[in-house]
Amino acid sequence: MTSTAASKVPIEFNDKIVRQFMLASIIFGAVAMLAGVFIASQLNFHQLNLAEWMTFGRLRPLHTNAAIFAFVGNMMFAGIYYSTQRLCKCRMGNDTLSNIHFWGWQLIIVAAVITLPLGLSRGKEYAELIWPINVAVAVIWVVFAVNFFLTLHKRNEPSLYVALWFYIATIVTVAMLYIVNHLSIPTSWTHSYGIFGGVQDGLVQWWYGHNAVAFFLTTPILGIMYYFLPKAAERPVYSYRLSIVHFWSLVFLYIWAGPHHLLNTALPKWLQMLGMFFSLMLWAPSWGGMLNGLLTLRGAWDKLRTDPVIKFFIAAVTFYGMCTFEGPLLSIRAVNSLSHYSDWTIGHVHSGALGWNGFMAAGMFYWLAPRLWNTKLYSVPMANFHFWIGTLGILLYVVAMWISGIMQGLMLNQVTADGLAVKNTFLDTLQAIRPLMGLRVIGGGMFLLGWLVMCVNLWKTIRSGTPVNEVREVAVLQHGKTDTMGMKETFFNDPTACTFGALLLIFGWIFLPPGADIASLICACFFAFLAVRRFQKTSHTWANWYDRLLQNYLPFTVLTFVAVVIGGLIQIIPTITVNSAKNVEDRIQKVYEPLELAGRDIYVSEGCYNCHSQMIRTLVPDVMRYGDYSRLGESIYDHPFQWGSKRTGPDLAREGGQRPNSWHYEHLMDPRSMSPQSNMPPYAHLNTKAFDQKTLPTKIAVLRRLGVPYPPMDATEIKMKALEQGVKIATELKISNIVVRPDSQMVAVIAYLQKLGQYEQPEVEESLTRKGQGVPFPLSPVIPDNARRADGAQ
Amino acid sequence: MDSKKPSSNNEPVLRDHVFDGIQEYDQKLPNWWLFTLYIAIVYFVIYWLCYYQLGIGSSDTVVMDKVIAEMQVARDKQMESITDEQLWALSRDPAAVEAGKATFMTPGMCVTCHGTDLSATLGGAKLPGLPLNDQEWKHGGKPTEIFKIVRKGSPDVTKGMAAWELVLGMKRVSEVVAFVLSHHKEGEPITQAVDTPPPAAPPAAK
Repeated sequence: MTSTAASKVPIEFNDKIVRQFMLASIIFGAVAMLAGVFIASQLNFHQLNLAEWMTFGRLRPLHTNAAIFAFVGNMMFAGIYYSTQRLCKCRMGNDTLSNIHFWGWQLIIVAAVITLPLGLSRGKEYAELIWPINVAVAVIWVVFAVNFFLTLHKRNEPSLYVALWFYIATIVTVAMLYIVNHLSIPTSWTHSYGIFGGVQDGLVQWWYGHNAVAFFLTTPILGIMYYFLPKAAERPVYSYRLSIVHFWSLVFLYIWAGPHHLLNTALPKWLQMLGMFFSLMLWAPSWGGMLNGLLTLRGAWDKLRTDPVIKFFIAAVTFYGMCTFEGPLLSIRAVNSLSHYSDWTIGHVHSGALGWNGFMAAGMFYWLAPRLWNTKLYSVPMANFHFWIGTLGILLYVVAMWISGIMQGLMLNQVTADGLAVKNTFLDTLQAIRPLMGLRVIGGGMFLLGWLVMCVNLWKTIRSGTPVNEVREVAVLQHGKTDTMGMKETFFNDPTACTFGALLLIFGWIFLPPGADIASLICACFFAFLAVRRFQKTSHTWANWYDRLLQNYLPFTVLTFVAVVIGGLIQIIPTITVNSAKNVEDRIQKVYEPLELAGRDIYVSEGCYNCHSQMIRTLVPDVMRYGDYSRLGESIYDHPFQWGSKRTGPDLAREGGQRPNSWHYEHLMDPRSMSPQSNMPPYAHLNTKAFDQKTLPTKIAVLRRLGVPYPPMDATEIKMKALEQGVKIATELKISNIVVRPDSQMVAVIAYLQKLGQYEQPEVEESLTRKGQGVPFPLSPVIPDNARRADGAQ
Repeated sequence: MDSKKPSSNNEPVLRDHVFDGIQEYDQKLPNWWLFTLYIAIVYFVIYWLCYYQLGIGSSDTVVMDKVIAEMQVARDKQMESITDEQLWALSRDPAAVEAGKATFMTPGMCVTCHGTDLSATLGGAKLPGLPLNDQEWKHGGKPTEIFKIVRKGSPDVTKGMAAWELVLGMKRVSEVVAFVLSHHKEGEPITQAVDTPPPAAPPAAK
């Protein structure tokens, strides 16, 4: 097993790249937090929507993207580049690739900072960047991946440490998620339509969105925890066995949990149920990570008093534990019916982003700076101040959001004495949470203040030292036994056979037709029993196989990819095949007229979805307030879907035809003229700008390719139609003494808003309702909901 | 296996291999932790089995359709019981008128378009709504007719007033109507508005 060391050579680590990423993360962290404090202030002070490009709808994507990709992204790269070189006992794969990765990533961030305020957006959360930038992100990510795997390839350490497992999972999964969710057809250099629409887009988006949290904000940081925490504590990791169990269960289960962002919506119920249950099952694996972090500190608790690094790590891991307990809780459909679309979710993500990511980053930077610049930390008291102000800031923020979310949720659910009307208007509930939105700014501001103190502290530290690249004598590894595992050894062995066998039977239980499903479940239980028996008898061969797997990075990567790909395949493929427009039996959306489409693209680019949902959930309070619950078919032609994830304003799914055009005009010009005390930004600039007529024909052509049933129209016809509708609206507005240009963005947006909620009821043909019957199982799985419906009808 | 045998049963196993100075214990998984995982899995299996295979519980849409239908029946029933006489009587009840006034004057509600004095003007400027303090009515001036417009909105809501029933509910709608009627007398002449182009009217945030 031990590969003989033939010779010792000095190796200089590439620590320059670590320093670069670290500084970038510190700077962009401050930018992201500043943007956060600013947009949080806009919620109480609408006057802060100072200009068209400074509206909440445009800046909120800037805040989220900066926090995720610029701040945590750079932090993750710093941590990965530092620890991977040391865990592999070699320099990063290729210096050029490292540099391309660094500069490419910063360029992407700069491009994002320019395009997002300009209103160039794909309209999907954390996936707003326009397609040329998407391509750049994918390319740079591949550069990073190649660089990382080159490092593994030439490593001088036979076995892969647990931190590297998490890095591998991060790299392959983020690539998969990012590419699939950004598949789109361009209509111009700055605009594209995603290939998925409606419910499919919703599912893919939250498969991506949830796992951006999982594989961008969690797994890499867990890897960083596994390296830096035992280093700082100078204690052995609590349990290797726990690492194995929690790593594999985490990466396998996480990917299934996406639909919990769409609970009680028009998403098919079986997907909602999978989302909920996999989220509940995720609790234990997540806490496995927390336990391995916290219990590693056993015997080193005294350091908590003296070492700020340990303080930050402990708090970060504790916040991680709190956050991953809250997550499954919020995934329970009943809890979610109250919490969803409210500030509770906002508090939840910030306890993760500020508490877990922010404090892990701070701890790591305080640990790295003295080592990378060969000096001592400038001031421990300043670091302690940062810790306390940061902790208090997060707590204030999170508690304010809890109260706000629960209070607004309860207020929205209140009904009048006869139970036939809602008690509070949406604006009433908004006024009630205003003080809490204020506390949120203070909490966030305290965290930012701590961060700035860290900037000063680290700046002073850096100034007192000089950059050094660590040089180490390393025994060169003779690749005799490592990286020799073949396909057969990877897949044909007890652990994988037992896992895949059990999974296959479980899937049979979910998808087989009635009768066979229960048989499959019984087989699964029996199989699991046998597998456990077998494991008890031959556990040492299982352990030996795993030890060997750890010496083979490619098979390890392949198995990781298999583990993460299963959940996505099972949730997304049936949805794409079954839930398409031609299969919808219930209501189906009316296709947007050209002007309405132009208006919709403006709605998307202004980021209206950041505050307005278009999804009336199957819940009594939602239906009472907004009208009949949304059906799956009612947004099937929406590229992108706009179901939303937060209601700072009311739902708009059935806004069409509810108010006069003049109301919308006045409201968009100055929201407070129609809705006193509203916090919506004014959109007067829509009145002065013309909507984009030039690209409309291309856009409609692309949508036709994507399956939206537009009748054949040539370019002139499309423009004429748009203008005709514009003239109609402008003429109507004139009656109310309102003068608008018929080609203005204002008219387009009003046309779109008035279209919302319009649908047709397709005639159901007998042949259609029985589709898919008689096709053998693997080609046409039985969707659990349909099987159940058939049951009920009998 | 590169792991050290424990010297005693209580001491955790420390694995031999050292990664850049980091060592790993190989301890048993905490039982309570394992149980949370097992319980979550068992809960999933039982719940799914009950819902999908045994058909226990109704689907969301079935429940919702039932609730909505029941509500509609209750609303219709409430509606049947309202007559012109009752609304006139209500408009002479100070408590009801006061409550109606409060609703009417709530920012973002009726007052936005009909004005504080019901004249549909604000400081001389015309507001989107129609005046309610004169004897000219566009959609009928009988109490039940006014009541219907407040509930359901004007025939084409994109050009006129929005429907308020779901927001206000029966009780508050009748109070608002009582408040409006308190500016009128039973038996006063009602003129049909000349069919001027319909002006805009309220609703507020939902």
